[in-house]
Amino acid sequence: MTGPFQNTPPKPEKLGAMTESFIKDALAGESQASQKYLAFAAQADREGFPNVGRLFRAVAYAESMHARNHLSVLGAIGDTIANLGTGHGGETFEIDEMYPAYRAVAKLQDNKEADTSCRYALRAEEDHQKIYAATRDTVKAGRDLDATPIRVCPICGHTVVGDAPDECPVCGTVAQFFTAF
Amino acid sequence: MASEDFERRLPQPELLHAMDEANLKAAFAGESQAAEKYLVWAEKADDEGYPNVAKLFRAISFAETRHARNHLRVMDGIGSTADNLAAAFGGESFEIDEMYPAYAEVAKEQGDKQAQRTIRFALKAEIDHKRMYAEARERVIGGSDIAAEPVSVCLVCGHTIIGGVPDKCPVCAAPGSMYKTF
Repeated sequence: MTGPFQNTPPKPEKLGAMTESFIKDALAGESQASQKYLAFAAQADREGFPNVGRLFRAVAYAESMHARNHLSVLGAIGDTIANLGTGHGGETFEIDEMYPAYRAVAKLQDNKEADTSCRYALRAEEDHQKIYAATRDTVKAGRDLDATPIRVCPICGHTVVGDAPDECPVCGTVAQFFTAF
Repeated sequence: MASEDFERRLPQPELLHAMDEANLKAAFAGESQAAEKYLVWAEKADDEGYPNVAKLFRAISFAETRHARNHLRVMDGIGSTADNLAAAFGGESFEIDEMYPAYAEVAKEQGDKQAQRTIRFALKAEIDHKRMYAEARERVIGGSDIAAEPVSVCLVCGHTIIGGVPDKCPVCAAPGSMYKTF
């Protein structure tokens, strides 16, 4: 392909309804492929295939580039204030609607591990919702967050701004295993 | 944390009822897309001069990745590496043979040029991925790891190459400096 769009990521455009629907499906597909490959990379490391692990991570990254391109075409990359608002909205839906419904079904069907996986996610989404709301206020006032580390539990995703708790309040993982950003 | 201890704490695979399985699949799709969105929004925050907001988006993206992994485990979606390579190969084949050609046709029919580009970029890279997964699977089935050669990814289109970086991306013509190497 030649022309002004060469070697730049695809840009937002007004899409036909069918195309929009398919690009949304493609975003879902690329996002899930990327996450699967990251999980497969950890598995390859455990089995003693570090270079296969690296291949999975590289391809996961490529799928992330595709996901970004699809998001761009869908016009889903706003300014940071808008993105924080959208993030807050997504977390709110998961907290108020999605995970409570899934947990109710998991309990009804006595699928304990499914319930645990949904509970871990639900608890962390509550952290995220609060943090996004506070951050949006800060950015609206024209300021960045301060440089306090953000720590994430590698088991359940519990997210804290500042020091990790001695034990994760959701799953009991000890502080030293939290990943700091 | 010892690796066994780590594994023990994670949600475990279990025999799922149909509704639970459907719900976990949907939750996996949701967490996966949230993780990708937050990474992209992190770049945007960096561009706008909010590095600490960017860091926050990356941290929360990582948390969503933990949730995606947990859901995938419960659905028994993480097998041996040989099986994972086969599953990955199957997914890439579906995208190459069915999904993206169909989407490309519709985008062309509707005259959506940027949609055509994002579909073409993905399709071209999936062809590379499919081949790499097939080769890696042969090696792993034979009991060995793949070689320690660099794997590089184009930041614009996702073109993936083992070995050296090209002067120019063969798919989108981005310069070699715009590759990330693993």
